[in-house]
Amino acid sequence: MQDKNFFKELLTKSAEDFKAGRMDRRDFLGLCAVAGVATYAVSIGDAQAAADEIVFWNWGGDAVKCHTDSFGSPFSTDSGLGFKVDTSGPLQGKVKEMVDSGNITADVADADAFDAIALGKSGHLEAIDYSVVDKKKVLEGFAWDHGFSAIFYGYGFMYDSEKFGDNPPSTWADFFDTNKFAGKRSLYKWANGAIEGALLADGVAKADLYPCDVDRAISKIQSIKDDSIYWGSGAEASQMIIDGEVTMGMVWINRAKAVEADTKGRFKLVMNEAIAMPGAYIVPKGNPAGRENVMKFLASCQTPERQINMLSCHGMTPANPEAFAMIPDDLKRFAVTSAENIDKVVFNDPAWWAENGGDTLNRYLDAIG
Amino acid sequence: MRLNNYWLLVAPLLLLVMALYAWPVINILWLSVTEPQAGLQNYEKLFASSSLARILWTTLRVCLLTTFGAVLAGYLVAYMMAHLASGERSWMLTFVLVSFWVSVLVRAFAWLTLLGRNGLLNGALISSGLTDEPITFVRNELGVLIGMIHYMIPYAVLPLLANMQGLDGRVMSASRSLGAGPLVTFRRIYLPLTMPGIFAASILVFVISLGFYVTPAILGGGRVLMAAEYISVQVLVTLQWGTASMLATLMLGGVLALMFTLSRFMKLSEVFGAKA
Repeated sequence: MQDKNFFKELLTKSAEDFKAGRMDRRDFLGLCAVAGVATYAVSIGDAQAAADEIVFWNWGGDAVKCHTDSFGSPFSTDSGLGFKVDTSGPLQGKVKEMVDSGNITADVADADAFDAIALGKSGHLEAIDYSVVDKKKVLEGFAWDHGFSAIFYGYGFMYDSEKFGDNPPSTWADFFDTNKFAGKRSLYKWANGAIEGALLADGVAKADLYPCDVDRAISKIQSIKDDSIYWGSGAEASQMIIDGEVTMGMVWINRAKAVEADTKGRFKLVMNEAIAMPGAYIVPKGNPAGRENVMKFLASCQTPERQINMLSCHGMTPANPEAFAMIPDDLKRFAVTSAENIDKVVFNDPAWWAENGGDTLNRYLDAIG
Repeated sequence: MRLNNYWLLVAPLLLLVMALYAWPVINILWLSVTEPQAGLQNYEKLFASSSLARILWTTLRVCLLTTFGAVLAGYLVAYMMAHLASGERSWMLTFVLVSFWVSVLVRAFAWLTLLGRNGLLNGALISSGLTDEPITFVRNELGVLIGMIHYMIPYAVLPLLANMQGLDGRVMSASRSLGAGPLVTFRRIYLPLTMPGIFAASILVFVISLGFYVTPAILGGGRVLMAAEYISVQVLVTLQWGTASMLATLMLGGVLALMFTLSRFMKLSEVFGAKA
């Protein structure tokens, strides 16, 4: 393992030298041969490419274009480094597997804050260099040792305004009240946000949400079990609403604007008590582009204008306080950190989820099954 | 016993399969007794947690019902194909094979469009006045069964068709000439002769159903959690790799035990079409 990383670093370094003309071709090829390049599945091209490009690991879909346009291309222009996207979705298990296997192919992963905490603790991530990344450009409390928030996303719910237009629902308590507001509900299948929503509905104060009383949340969710269906992806969540399968549905806030448009305004988003989720950019340990390059990239993602672009393009809310005032008027309603919403939303506690997420999810899956 | 020379021919291939397939699988299964600590604690969970037992029961129930439905429907299709003229048969075979090419995801969403609350079928039922409220065909176990049976029918048709085409039609004619009616001939002659095909189709459908993931996830509305999806959650999200590999070991063990039991009663090689 040690040797492998050593050779990989050596190769990447010499690939840079070779590219910059500091090393001639024969020496470089010789070195590759000595290092047994083929054994390590690092071809000359790979080693060379690894050194001068950032591979951004995200979840695919619109995010590919949005991450490239908002963060990747401007960074490439400034730094001369390339930018590539891997769309396979950096779930915790995949990051762990990638680092453990020693075949690290991504530099930055678009993950959750609880991933940053959990994987940081288990030693799978590079620490963030806060002499390059600026802590002051992150909303206070959302910069951790092994990751920081460049964006927030979140969970809100949407309701059918044709059914409930006269007396629209405005809280999670309304969402869980199927007597007053008839019809089916859709919730997120992987527990996140649903637990918080259920607790708020059951009368837990925003300030007392964490540590979550999972028993209480689950019995609240079971109270609407027969009227609920569950989605695993954002597309599914939107479809359940657009197809009229539910009268109220939990959604990722960044998708709400599109759903309002698709249903011609029939379904409306409720931002009150929305659960704001801190995203986290994390760096798998031993990332191919090297720590220095990736930190420069991360710092560039803090630029307010680029975060605003990300909001316009993908609905992800800026995490840099300097950007809050720059949120365009038509997007304020959908932005977690806009002046009109920031005091209404509840911020997720990633430390609690990092510690308890796995068990909570298993109990939740058991309860809804 | 003298080592058959042919073994030498296949030995390189066998070694390759061992190295590239069996070894990694064993490595994964090994995790079930080593993660998070050495011991059998992952297997104890089976008895300690009612949720695991429930997931396994759901998996077994859905797979058995799918097997029954798919083999029954597959039998009808194969029967018809076996008795058509060869030109028509190849047309039908083409349709059966084409359905292999349609992705499982597309099929699941197609069922949603057809059977959903505002789907074509419910629309027709409501507008014709047969029902007032849409019927929930999907986002429940019924939906999962519809989707899975539909997906598995071609897998049932092919072994059954091979079996039926291999039958000697004169046996049935003999039965008729000796005075048996069509029903008796079917029950006492045709059905027993197609038993190997039924077994082959059932095993194939059952084993493939065990690994189903996408169809239950979409058509079950999150309410029908089967083993394959649960394993993936434990690997990718909760990082309980020990639990995941315990379940995987259990499923692999279950399938092997099933094959072993069946092999006591019948020649499996014949079931899968190899000639002795």
